[in-house]
Amino acid sequence: MNCSSELENKIVKTGLCTSCGACQGLCPYWLSHRGKTIQMFSCDREEGRCYAFCPRTKTDLAKLREEFFPDADYIPEIGPFYGLYMTRAADADIRAKSQHGGTTTALVELAMRKGLIDAAILTDAKGGVNPKGVLVKKPQDVRKYSGSSFQIPPVLATLNKALEENRYKKIGVVGTPCKTLAVYKMKSRPFPDNDGNAGNIGMVFGLFCGWGLDWEGLEKLVQRHAAGKQLEHMDILPSKFHQMVLKTSKKQMEVPLEEIYPIVKGSCNYCVDMTAEFSDISVGGARSSEGWDVDQGWNQVIVRTEKGVKLIDLARKEGILEFKAVAESNLEKIKQASLNKKKTGLKNLRKLSGSKNNLIYLNPDEPGIEKACVDMA
Amino acid sequence: MSKLLSPANNEVLFMGNEAIARGALEAGVNVAAGYPGTPSSEIIETLATVVKERNLYVEWSTNEKVSLEVAAAASFAGLRSLCVMKQNGVNVASDFLLHLTASGTRGGMVLVTCEDPGALSSVNEGESRYFARMLEIPLLEPANFQEAKDLTKWAFELSEKIRNVVILRSVTRMSHASGNVICGKLPTKSRKALFEYKGSIMDQLRGPVISTPVVIKHALQQEKLKKAVALFENSPFNTYSGPAKPELLLITSSACFLYSQEAISMLNLQKRVGILKLGCTWPPPPQLLKKHLKSTGKVLIVEEILPFLEENVKALAAGMAEDIGIKKYYGKMDGTLPAVGELNPDLVAEGLGKILKVKYKSQPPGYVKEMEKIIPMIPKREQTFCPGCPHRASFWNMHNALQLDGREGFVCGDIGCYALAALYPSCGFDTVRTLHSMGSGTGIASGFAKLGQFGFEKPVIAVCGDSTFYHAAIPALINAQHNRADITFIVLDNSGTAMTGFQPHPGLTVGAAGESVPAIDIAGICEAIGAKVAISDPFDLEKTCGLLTDFLAEEGCVKVLILRQKCALSPEKKGKKQFLMKVDEERCRGEECGCNRLCTRIFRCPALVWDRIKKKAVIDDVICAGCGVCYSICPQKAIIRTEAKQK
Ligand SMILES: Cc1cc2nc3c(=O)[nH]c(=O)nc-3n(C[C@H](O)[C@H](O)[C@H](O)COP(=O)(O)OP(=O)(O)OC[C@H]3O[C@@H](n4cnc5c(N)ncnc54)[C@H](O)[C@@H]3O)c2cc1C
Ligand code: SF4
Ligand code: SF4
Ligand code: SF4
Ligand code: SF4
Repeated sequence: MNCSSELENKIVKTGLCTSCGACQGLCPYWLSHRGKTIQMFSCDREEGRCYAFCPRTKTDLAKLREEFFPDADYIPEIGPFYGLYMTRAADADIRAKSQHGGTTTALVELAMRKGLIDAAILTDAKGGVNPKGVLVKKPQDVRKYSGSSFQIPPVLATLNKALEENRYKKIGVVGTPCKTLAVYKMKSRPFPDNDGNAGNIGMVFGLFCGWGLDWEGLEKLVQRHAAGKQLEHMDILPSKFHQMVLKTSKKQMEVPLEEIYPIVKGSCNYCVDMTAEFSDISVGGARSSEGWDVDQGWNQVIVRTEKGVKLIDLARKEGILEFKAVAESNLEKIKQASLNKKKTGLKNLRKLSGSKNNLIYLNPDEPGIEKACVDMA
Repeated sequence: MSKLLSPANNEVLFMGNEAIARGALEAGVNVAAGYPGTPSSEIIETLATVVKERNLYVEWSTNEKVSLEVAAAASFAGLRSLCVMKQNGVNVASDFLLHLTASGTRGGMVLVTCEDPGALSSVNEGESRYFARMLEIPLLEPANFQEAKDLTKWAFELSEKIRNVVILRSVTRMSHASGNVICGKLPTKSRKALFEYKGSIMDQLRGPVISTPVVIKHALQQEKLKKAVALFENSPFNTYSGPAKPELLLITSSACFLYSQEAISMLNLQKRVGILKLGCTWPPPPQLLKKHLKSTGKVLIVEEILPFLEENVKALAAGMAEDIGIKKYYGKMDGTLPAVGELNPDLVAEGLGKILKVKYKSQPPGYVKEMEKIIPMIPKREQTFCPGCPHRASFWNMHNALQLDGREGFVCGDIGCYALAALYPSCGFDTVRTLHSMGSGTGIASGFAKLGQFGFEKPVIAVCGDSTFYHAAIPALINAQHNRADITFIVLDNSGTAMTGFQPHPGLTVGAAGESVPAIDIAGICEAIGAKVAISDPFDLEKTCGLLTDFLAEEGCVKVLILRQKCALSPEKKGKKQFLMKVDEERCRGEECGCNRLCTRIFRCPALVWDRIKKKAVIDDVICAGCGVCYSICPQKAIIRTEAKQK
């Protein structure tokens, strides 16, 4: 096998590529430009890290989970589980600029201050357009990079370069589920002699994710609705609102979802992970009976590892996060939403492979997948 | 003193092209113009060295057509003029040539074309002898170095006798080989230019020089040709040697005469084969041919490229069949000799052997076996850009920008050293998809860019060298801009006509003879056309690739990127290294995941060598030009460069 062409032919050209960047920053052969993953030259190696790290090449999820989440409870719909919380950053400054409650920013900042991580790979969302991966070295800089971009930059290329540099020994990474899966594939060190210093990965912060948007598609949409304006924030509201909002410092523009569906990133249709199951801790938007006006300032957090527990306890102790009660129905709701994403992903994978049992990169025996399969039958 | 000015009766070793130059000097040439192209360039170059001594005007013109026009003006003013180009240059000049032959000339005017059988340094096996036939111009072909000089001199006389231009055709093995030549006298007086135009249009010497009235002038032109044939019948440049009644008559011209002589003596066929060597090949002299054709039943025509002579002999013979009888003809057309490529004595001997049933194997017994032993010992040298060549970096940038762009765009190539880019994997990085004549890359790109309405969506890059820019790319560039063809046009500006030996061109401030001339600014021309222009150093990979990527994405106008960096072999750079290079073995990842030999497997500068034992890249200091580009491509920063101290 020629792993690099395999990646090009079976992942990039088939539309499975998530633009995570895990194959990049390792060597001269893979680059990214405006959200597209590009093979610059052919590499004739049989085995290589690009292929091994890619979240869309075949992965034994169960084995990976056993290795990194040995003690957590396991919920097939949402993965390893220590607890579900509803939180927001205590610091109003963080909240003001963050996507939802600023939990992610507050946790990363805290982890760095407490030495749980010594640097962090974040995304400079730039109000949503033309985002870039960044290596943040000081806790006070973390808050400069809050907010979400729905374009998917190859953030893990930045991680690979930082690991190679070998300057930081406990690097934290924030990413969508596709990215965090790739990070765990890196952590599993498929080539022990050439592991790109994977031991330097400190903590993994996952983001809940429904889907990302196509790079050019979003660019054109912004040009249509906010040409020449500096956006500060964009979000996709809960489904009953049926809209996306774009915000400048002065103005808010609503875009109906009809304009959004056609620009959903194609590879996201093959994703079966809504909650970033591979992470120490994952953060998403809040849902409660208080309604969106309140919820948009809060997060739901799933803690998945001991490290995650340690961090959230610290946050509570130090008053970094504010907590509120989580309604019992919330876990069920998340499970249901997550299962729905798995089902859609499976349907699309089956369509792509042309076979019920061929799930391309997934194993049908994997409990979460099995559950979705049974549910669909 | 230049050997070109050796006194009369001296025997001098001349390269064929020098012999032609000397012949022109003996004829009292006043003006010489040309466009560089191997194997013709040395003629103008050597003449340029004696401009003062011989009161010459010598120029490298913008293209072949212009050079012919410049030379024609001198002839119209009663001077003697020489125009020099390579085979395909005649195609460029041919439109003017058609009209020139119709108007006629005054002072002796000779068009020298040096052709390249086997395409040793061309991308075509062009043949310009057919122009002589098609445009009704006398054609002369020297067969040795003495003749190269003497025929050139006589060509001027012939031209003046018939008042029309004469073509003299040489080939690589004539132009670039050397032999002894006995010099003739150099004239002591130079002519004065006098252009008379007040006579009637029918007055060839005193009226305006024009091709009308067409039919009458055409008839006049044919009269001139008849005059030339009459002179050819008794010309000393047509010779016969061999038995009075040969078993086989071999008719030949040019360098093939030398191959034929050698083949005959190799096979000891002097008593059976006679050689009719023609120095005057168009129109072929009928009486002379009749005499020789009568003497034999078998005829072999030996010539290179196309069966021009063969067709002409056969056509004449058909007309004289009643007198000469039926002959058996051998040559290219029946496959006795190869239809393409260069000839050599072996190939002629093989042909002779076939006809006369003489055993001849061009390779001695055991030859193939021996070769099989030797070939693996010859160091592998792929045809590629030189170490330090700016083109390697330029095509690297083009490749990278096209990959990033991601629409499967491509490069329309052009003629110059950078035509090598069409070779993959040695250079070019698999970008060049078309390659034709000078400037046509730009025209082709302009055409591709207009195919949008038929579903064509790939971005197109056209490249051309600085010399080619002036030669033929400007009209195509204007075409692209005027017709809104969104091409990205790259000028590979290496400050000279590098491929043919650094002849100056309109972008430089020196002329053919070293005189100072104004340079014509490429960027200024492109801006005036309305294109968006940027200039970059191709060695600055980041900047160049960035600019190019932006240009590819930009729609709505022609984008011009001038990539400026001197040729590695240019006189200013040769032997001087800007950087001293070294590979840090500790850092070099070699073929491991993380690099997989990017420098030696993909970039392939010949100075980067893969050490199979250490499994590391090394730099061959002897050939490394010190350009420093590999420093920028190494993903590990394992290639280290330090600024060299300039002596
Ligand atoms: C493409 C995408 C789709 C999402 N879909 C959902 C969803 O369907 N449901 C849901 O509940 N939540 C979703 N989220 C998560 C949500 O937008 C918030 O990131 C999350 O709620 C955390 O909020 P916060 O206030 O803690 O974030 P902040 O404190 O503002 O921090 C956000 C963090 O996300 C990082 N980031 C921003 N953009 C990206 C990106 N494109 N890729 C990787 N990292 C990035 C930033 O570096 C920053 O560290 C999505 C996020 C993304 C990027
Ligand atoms: S990551 Fe390794 S195997 Fe993949 S393209 Fe790069 S060098 Fe080749
Ligand atoms: S999914 Fe990530 S690792 Fe796989 S090809 Fe795409 S960018 Fe590379
Ligand atoms: S590009 Fe650099 S790391 Fe790769 S083989 Fe060459 S010198 Fe070594
Ligand atoms: S510096 Fe590098 S690219 Fe330039 S000539 Fe030397 S080896 Fe080749």
